[in-house]
Amino acid sequence: MKLISKLTLFITLSKLAIVLLFVLTLPYLIEGIARNYTDYYLQQQQKKVLEVVARNGVETYLQGEESYGSYTMLKEEYISLEPVEKGFVLDTIYTDERIIEQDTLNYRVLTHSFITENGTYLMEVGKTIETIDQYKRPLQRIATYVLLGLILLTLIIDLFYTRFLLRPLDRIIRTKISNKRFPFNENSVPIKTTTTDFRFLDDSLISLMEQIHEAFEKEREFTANASHELMTPIGILQNKIENLMGEPEVSDFVQERLIGMQKTLNRLKRIVHSLLLISRIENEQFSKKESVSAAELFADVMDEISHRFNERDISLKIDISSEVILENINRDLLFQMIYNLVNNAIRYNKPSGFIHIADRINPDGSYDVDLIDSGIGIPEEDIGTIFNRFKKANKSEDGAGYGLGLSIVKSIADYHHISISVDSDISQGTTFTISFPAELIRS
Amino acid sequence: MKVLLIEDEKTLAYEVEAFLKKAFYICDMAHTARKGLEMLGVNPYDFVLLDLGLPDLDGLKVLQEAKKLNPDAAYIILTARGNIEDRIVGLDLGADDYLPKPFSLLELQSRMQAISRRKFNLNTQEIPLGEFIIDLQKRVVSHQSNEIDLTRKEFDLLSYLLLHKNRVLTRMQLSEHIWGTFADDDYDSNYIDVHIKNIRKKLGAFGQVEWLETVRGVGYKIRK
Repeated sequence: MKLISKLTLFITLSKLAIVLLFVLTLPYLIEGIARNYTDYYLQQQQKKVLEVVARNGVETYLQGEESYGSYTMLKEEYISLEPVEKGFVLDTIYTDERIIEQDTLNYRVLTHSFITENGTYLMEVGKTIETIDQYKRPLQRIATYVLLGLILLTLIIDLFYTRFLLRPLDRIIRTKISNKRFPFNENSVPIKTTTTDFRFLDDSLISLMEQIHEAFEKEREFTANASHELMTPIGILQNKIENLMGEPEVSDFVQERLIGMQKTLNRLKRIVHSLLLISRIENEQFSKKESVSAAELFADVMDEISHRFNERDISLKIDISSEVILENINRDLLFQMIYNLVNNAIRYNKPSGFIHIADRINPDGSYDVDLIDSGIGIPEEDIGTIFNRFKKANKSEDGAGYGLGLSIVKSIADYHHISISVDSDISQGTTFTISFPAELIRS
Repeated sequence: MKVLLIEDEKTLAYEVEAFLKKAFYICDMAHTARKGLEMLGVNPYDFVLLDLGLPDLDGLKVLQEAKKLNPDAAYIILTARGNIEDRIVGLDLGADDYLPKPFSLLELQSRMQAISRRKFNLNTQEIPLGEFIIDLQKRVVSHQSNEIDLTRKEFDLLSYLLLHKNRVLTRMQLSEHIWGTFADDDYDSNYIDVHIKNIRKKLGAFGQVEWLETVRGVGYKIRK
């Protein structure tokens, strides 16, 4: 999940949780507030009554009666005074039911005992709390609406702000990480941000990429120079052997030895050639401005390699659309790439096996070619490394494979942004799928 | 035929010289560009073999200068740079051929022969071989008036052997000539033998082919 989605989700959920908590506790809050207020109100009433009693005596209320009771028109409040035994002390506020004129009502009741010259009296002041209960529900509802509205509003603000805040990260990912192709040739431009974390991340990435680029450059330079320097002594040796072989007095025995030397030297030459080729490809010394019909290209490769098919008695089936034109490519390099793949398919095939080449155009405009062989297959643990230099799937004793054929394939594919995937079953065969991106295809 | 070899790598130059002398070329050597240009100013040459990587002057400039001094010579560029650009520029500047180092001396001779045919119209076009006539220009093998149908590779193989007649060519040398950089590294494979067998079969239907010899453990040669 993307960081911004996670943040938004978290903010939303936390806000919702808090609002829910608030809405649920709201009735208790209201009740508490209302009770406090009622209690305060009742105490005020009590004070008033006591003031009246102190000023005018308790008879003002009793008017000769034993006790006094009065309530307002809608029975919202009532007051009662009644004599109690001497020494009775009560001073409390509580909630209780009272029956007034056949109505049972919940009241908040304040009781207070006080002493006058006429004796001890107990005063009760009550205020109904039914009205408070009536408010609870609508209040809760309104609070919910208001708060949800507020959440929505803050969420929109949060979303815009986090988006703004995370924009540098997004840019780092877009320019430095995704779409980045080794060997990072182009210079990286630092992104603009005032967030120090992003600044640090960006700087680290740039310096890392520079280091990789430098190391790669060195390796590439070394390969090119070393290979180049090796060519001259190889050439001298080769020519010396050739001259020696042309001497009439050379015996058959020496002749045979010379051939052995020539073979070894040739092997060396091929390795150096391959390394030079790879380094030239990585140096981007080949133009990619040619175009060629896929069918023609495959036919040319097959023509070049047909003797190997005959020799191993391998049958070939080739279904390549004649409409597909590969453009912005280097023809020689693609030829070499396909040649190497087909050559491998022959070399690691069974006698009288088959090779099947088929293509398809994908809906997104890319173009795939499958190269299916009935060969010995590649063990699963080796598939990841077959394109590495000096690795070979089949460690044959003759030392014929140098493991550079597939490295060349990989370099050429990378150079053209072609991807190659491998699917293999031991002793069943291997399928190499060459995927040309849409921009190389004109059909 | 007079050849000037301009090559700063002396050991290599001596090997090339030794080979060319054996093939009856007259060979002069220069180890620097200046010396080479000097010699070109004095002597007429049929072939100039020019290394592009000379220490004192840029190889392509030397080529331009040399062409002015000796416009009739055939120029073959030898280079270890192997850049495609070099090759294109070299050929644009009027070089007749281009050989990347390291090269085979047999290949060098074969290229020189081809240039001779093309450029100087020397070397008899039709070479007799036993009962057969081989026309290198038209690329045809005939027996009396019958043209024998050989594939392109079969013909290349036959003419390469013929060019280096009386010399044993190994399977590796043969396959390198025919398939170039695509020659397979699996030398013990028998596809050269398959081609030779086909050539013998096709020509054998018309006449004797005992001049095409198999040298056990080495390769093939044409004896003449």
